[in-house]
Amino acid sequence: MRRPLAAACIWIALLAVPFWLPLMGGYTDLATRALIYAIAASGLNLLLGYTGGLSFGHAAYFGLGAYGAGLCLIHVAPSLPLAILAGTVLGGIAGILIGPLVMRRKGIYFSMITIAFGQMFYFIAVRWNGLTGGEDGLTGFSRVPVQIGGHAVMLGPERFYYLVLAVFALVMAVIWQILRSPLGHGFVAVRENPTRLRFLGVAVERQIWVAFAISAFIAALAGALNALLTGFASPDNLGWQLSGSFVVICVLGGMRSVWGPFLGAAIFIVAQDYLSSITQNWMSFIGLIFILAVLFFPQGLLGFSRLKASR
Amino acid sequence: MSLLKLENVSRRFGALQALKPLSLSVAPGELRAIIGPNGAGKTTLFNLISGFFPPSSGTISFAGEPITAVTPSALVRRGIIRTFQITQVFLSLTVRENFRVAAEAALGLQLRPWISRATRAQVEAKVEELAEMSRLGPKLDRTVGEMSHGDQRVVEVGIALSRRPRLLLLDEPTAGMGDEETSHMTDFIRRLNKDQGITILFVEHDMAIVFGIADRITVLDNGALLAEGSAAEISANPRVQEAYLGAAENAA
Amino acid sequence: MEALLIYSAFNGLITGIFYALMALGLSLILGLNGVINFAHGTFMALGAYLAFTIEPYVGFWASLVCAPLLAVVLGLLVERWLIRPLYGRDPLFSLLLTFGLAMIMEDLIRTIWGSVGQPFALPAYLNTPLSGSLFFLTGYRLVVILITALITGGLFAALRYTRIGIRIRAGNADLETISAMGVNIYVLRAANFGIGIFLAGLAGILAAGQLGLSPSMGSSLIMPSFVAIIVGGVGSLMGSVLGGLIIGIASGLTAALYPVAQEVVIYAIMAVVLVIRPRGLLGQEGLLE
Repeated sequence: MRRPLAAACIWIALLAVPFWLPLMGGYTDLATRALIYAIAASGLNLLLGYTGGLSFGHAAYFGLGAYGAGLCLIHVAPSLPLAILAGTVLGGIAGILIGPLVMRRKGIYFSMITIAFGQMFYFIAVRWNGLTGGEDGLTGFSRVPVQIGGHAVMLGPERFYYLVLAVFALVMAVIWQILRSPLGHGFVAVRENPTRLRFLGVAVERQIWVAFAISAFIAALAGALNALLTGFASPDNLGWQLSGSFVVICVLGGMRSVWGPFLGAAIFIVAQDYLSSITQNWMSFIGLIFILAVLFFPQGLLGFSRLKASR
Repeated sequence: MSLLKLENVSRRFGALQALKPLSLSVAPGELRAIIGPNGAGKTTLFNLISGFFPPSSGTISFAGEPITAVTPSALVRRGIIRTFQITQVFLSLTVRENFRVAAEAALGLQLRPWISRATRAQVEAKVEELAEMSRLGPKLDRTVGEMSHGDQRVVEVGIALSRRPRLLLLDEPTAGMGDEETSHMTDFIRRLNKDQGITILFVEHDMAIVFGIADRITVLDNGALLAEGSAAEISANPRVQEAYLGAAENAA
Repeated sequence: MEALLIYSAFNGLITGIFYALMALGLSLILGLNGVINFAHGTFMALGAYLAFTIEPYVGFWASLVCAPLLAVVLGLLVERWLIRPLYGRDPLFSLLLTFGLAMIMEDLIRTIWGSVGQPFALPAYLNTPLSGSLFFLTGYRLVVILITALITGGLFAALRYTRIGIRIRAGNADLETISAMGVNIYVLRAANFGIGIFLAGLAGILAAGQLGLSPSMGSSLIMPSFVAIIVGGVGSLMGSVLGGLIIGIASGLTAALYPVAQEVVIYAIMAVVLVIRPRGLLGQEGLLE
């Protein structure tokens, strides 16, 4: 019964972040960003860790979520829920459309194609100046007040943190439910042995497509929240470096664990924030995190046992 | 009437004629062994029947319906299930999880993110049934990758049973097994055939097993059909002795 | 209009040559080492910057050989100490590792040589147009075409006729057989990695002469090289070259007709190829999967 206890402790700590983080020299937006990355990485991990699809292009869906939310606020209506929905749907639909082009490919080939499609969205964002603001990114929107029971409630850093925390909890619940359902069992079976699954009469490609689409939806949801956090959507939100970061977050935390991406995201965001405050060369150090994670923590900080069993 | 019927089926890979045109018929309820030296075309034959790749010529029919260019997953739905020479299971999962995936696939639940309590009970009942049939009940919560080779093979057959096969194709079911494991597997195969009435086609190198349990034997050599008949007929067939059994004895 | 199209197509051909050289090296490494070398682009940039530094001392032509060799030295160290431990492991790990390496190398290039772009000095006689009517055909561009033709021709000949080349190709097809034949697979892989890096370094210098130097030149050229491999077909070296030239020319033409889509068109071509011919133009089915 140690696991539920540990989970309870994590949730309590997360609920209390605005109280203890400033005491430790942090700021609430940092925790919000960590949660947003945790959402995106958890979504990716459904594909990466559980289905075995090595997507290196998930920033594309994150970025589309960010642009979708921003564009909705600017051009459609000043509504926060609508913006989040618009971003999620935009990125999710892109995932549904790209899925069939990659689902038949495996291993390295899958990675290459997902990277390349990620770049496609990147260049669309950079070049479609009139709509996206080009290289400078999309600006001119901010968190508008939310209507709750007839009151306009402004979401400051703390309130926004709790909104993101609620979304994170929801996403974790969805992932948890998927993993205990036939759908999730099918994902794991694809990772373990697609041939066996095919000869049980299961359409393996369709299973991968569904995993791809769900993970794109979740990444896009995170992207939409990120745009609302920073008040801006940038081409970097779609870039290959962010895609790689999501993967390394999953690896660092542990790809075979539901909490792995969260742990990886927390470490990654804190390290990034600290490094960029002390050195110009923070990119080198992030790169170093990649290399060290691969060489020394290939199974992640959480969840050794099952992976070992398969070797 | 025959359950499985191959007419003039052949397969070539580029310049290699892996299987020369051959015809074959398997009756319902039969336990049929396919034997032959390495490279005789046994696995190619299995791959053709299970839809791994289509034949270069000829037709295959199952229960009276043509299945020549049907995909593996569609064949599975019609009741043709196979195992592989190299054991194909979900290694890092437990036996229970292996059976559960198989049961959910059999019930067509694979894309359901949520199932009712009743459906879940149905899945669990199926898992129990598979555990019962494969006699792996006590080992249900072991990780398959940590089990013996023989047990892994049994798990694989157990998984195959989830689809209630009408025709079960077993590719070297006892390969690499010790004596005790082999006799377990042999009993298992016989039980499935006699008690469950499943038609079984198996490739095997161990002649003691072949002549011990098979109703009929098909001998392939060099991609062609050499002989077919009962155990007694095959062991008395001079061509078989010459081309296969004699060669094996000489080699030994 | 016609002149503009010819001019643009030729521009695209030159860019396509850079893609092709990059894709060829990536393809070699992908085939025998089983690794997507994401740092390939930064090795390319490194080659260019090294040439930039040594050119004043040794001259353009010598830098064309020396700088890639220096990049190869670093490449071999990386192969030996970082990539070799990952052979046979999930491709995820080598990809992540080279990802990190690319970040570090790009950052170091920025630190050493500065983050603003710089021109790469070419000998004056290479920079003048050869004729008035074909103003876009400078001596340098001719040199780029000739060198690339020579190098790729030489490489294909070497792969066909030399012992190491035959082994690299055989290793591509079946690693187990080749190691059972008593070939030291580690040496073979290191040599192959070195050849790939040499091609990247060379592509870097040639590209620098045309496009100038910038720390991010690597990451902007490596993505199209991935696409070149996918379009040409994974597992086919010839396909990678062909894929590079096709997307280069397509991008060049688009730059003239509809400039905003000049990058996107590359990915659109990839999407079309994936739909109509998933294994790529010259690719084999099921390789590396």
